[in-house]
Amino acid sequence: MVDALGNGQYRVNGRLAYGARERGRTWVFIDGHTYIVDAEERDAGVHATDDQVALSAPMPATVISVNVTPGQEIAAGDLLVLLEAMKMEVPIKAPRNGRVKSIACREGDLVQPGTQLIELEQA
Amino acid sequence: MGRVTQILIANRGEVAVRIIRACRELGIPSVAVFSDADARAPHVLLADRAVRIGPASPAESYLSIATILNAARESGADAIHPGYGFLSENAAFAAACAEAGITFIGPPAAVIDRLGSKIGARLIANKAGVPLVPGDTPADQSNESIAASARKVGFPALLKPAAGGGGIGMKTIREERTLAAGIDQARREATSAFGDGTLYVERLIERPRHVEIQVLADDHGHVIHLFERECSLQRRHQKVVEETPSTALTAQLRRRMGEAAVALARAADYRNAGTVEFLLEGAGDSASFYFLEVNTRLQVEHPITERVTGVDLVHAQIGIARGEALPWTQQTLAQRGHAIEARVYAEDPSREDLPQAGRLLLYREPSMPGIRIDSGVTEGGDVSVHYDPLVAKLIADGPTREVARRRAVEALRNYPILGIRTNVAFLIELLEHPRFVAGDIDTWFLDSEGKQLRERSVSAIPPEALEVARAVAQSQADPTLRTAGGAKADPWDTLRGYRG
Repeated sequence: MVDALGNGQYRVNGRLAYGARERGRTWVFIDGHTYIVDAEERDAGVHATDDQVALSAPMPATVISVNVTPGQEIAAGDLLVLLEAMKMEVPIKAPRNGRVKSIACREGDLVQPGTQLIELEQA
Repeated sequence: MGRVTQILIANRGEVAVRIIRACRELGIPSVAVFSDADARAPHVLLADRAVRIGPASPAESYLSIATILNAARESGADAIHPGYGFLSENAAFAAACAEAGITFIGPPAAVIDRLGSKIGARLIANKAGVPLVPGDTPADQSNESIAASARKVGFPALLKPAAGGGGIGMKTIREERTLAAGIDQARREATSAFGDGTLYVERLIERPRHVEIQVLADDHGHVIHLFERECSLQRRHQKVVEETPSTALTAQLRRRMGEAAVALARAADYRNAGTVEFLLEGAGDSASFYFLEVNTRLQVEHPITERVTGVDLVHAQIGIARGEALPWTQQTLAQRGHAIEARVYAEDPSREDLPQAGRLLLYREPSMPGIRIDSGVTEGGDVSVHYDPLVAKLIADGPTREVARRRAVEALRNYPILGIRTNVAFLIELLEHPRFVAGDIDTWFLDSEGKQLRERSVSAIPPEALEVARAVAQSQADPTLRTAGGAKADPWDTLRGYRG
């Protein structure tokens, strides 16, 4: 049983919980734990491909260096792009062997989460 | 002696908020500065005045000396508090303030300069009789001479390239048997990495603790210490949990470390608030401590000292900058109870603590006995990608360590932060770890236990969370219930045109 108490507060099985939702993603907090439920993504049957996830900025970040060029052969684990976010280096590595098809970022760019930075040729 | 009638805070986030509050308490008008990313940040709203200093990038805003001095001139501020980070330990900034006739609330440029260099700081420590990690760079670099040095400093010994840094080419020697081969190898690595095979020999301190001493020094020759802060729980040189008193210190060891910190501050002709960091080997009366470095600013973890001593460190800093004498002597200060600080970071424990940025959809700070929260964010605000991922500091205190620890855990269990992943669950696991409960910690703790703690802090979604998620989705689908945070059943919210 869930009671909506207002202002983002809920009571579930006698415990206080908090919930909020943005862009199809529901965040729930219960007893020190935060859970993220991606309902819409699952309902719509939309699944990001592995390439898309692996080759996208995980968060807003600045591109420090682009370490590959279009046409270049790469091996799984190779460093493709180095990002900097919140004073920390965040490496973007090749998810598989393959060849770089195109590059969608340049050194110094501010990139947003979900933006695919590199496209690989189909395996 | 400096004029302090209006203070510009050359910082952002929780520390700017904390300093502005101190200004309010003292009746001193405050001036906030902000980048474009922070136009509606809490520190801007809280200050008496606010001046835009540039775009989001720190280099063009919070790190721009010329722009910040202009903002001080424009707003009529005659003093600047630098907070921590950004320009707080920048001697050129302190000098530029002095030159512009602005009181810098911190040590003079010469002091920052003297202590800013590790080598210079070690020389001052040595002169003051403060112990350094035993080490030796033999003038005679023959293998026999290096071996003699290693025997002198004792095993386990560390061979370091004298030209090196960053841990490259370091070699641990645990016993006489591996000494000769170790020297050969260290020499080869030093030569190939730095083109210089000169070796430095140092005692390896195994499983040390990081314990620091807070000092205050005025313009009248008074130097006091405000006891220790235990900061061993860190990863990648970032502290996560701090506490005071340290479980490793006895009254006698505390007095020795405090006296060493005061002696060092005197030898450096120190002014204002500072922190002397030590490595601690062992615990209790027989422990050894070794000087690490001096932080010439307010520390992030300063609130735990405030909770147990009753001293407001920012008030003290302002008083010292005004030329006032310290109102305390060493004898009038005491530690009362225990305080623990947990740093709430926007980061993802399931992805090696990758920092997170984004909007705080819901943010509610717990309010309960013995809890202080220093934060610079609000619900609906952003954690910006341009700055560090510290969301807030949760400080718990109590008459005993166990009371403070339980208060911290309880407060974290009631600290909902939605929209950005945080380390809240990780902090709870950490504070509940049997070794933390027992006070058995060292600087390797998070290296050895961190992975397991991170895994335990990320759990599968339980059925009740899915139920709540469905309720949230329903309330958002129904426009009569729709609000930013979710459902709102309060009839006052449905009143239209009502003026209360």
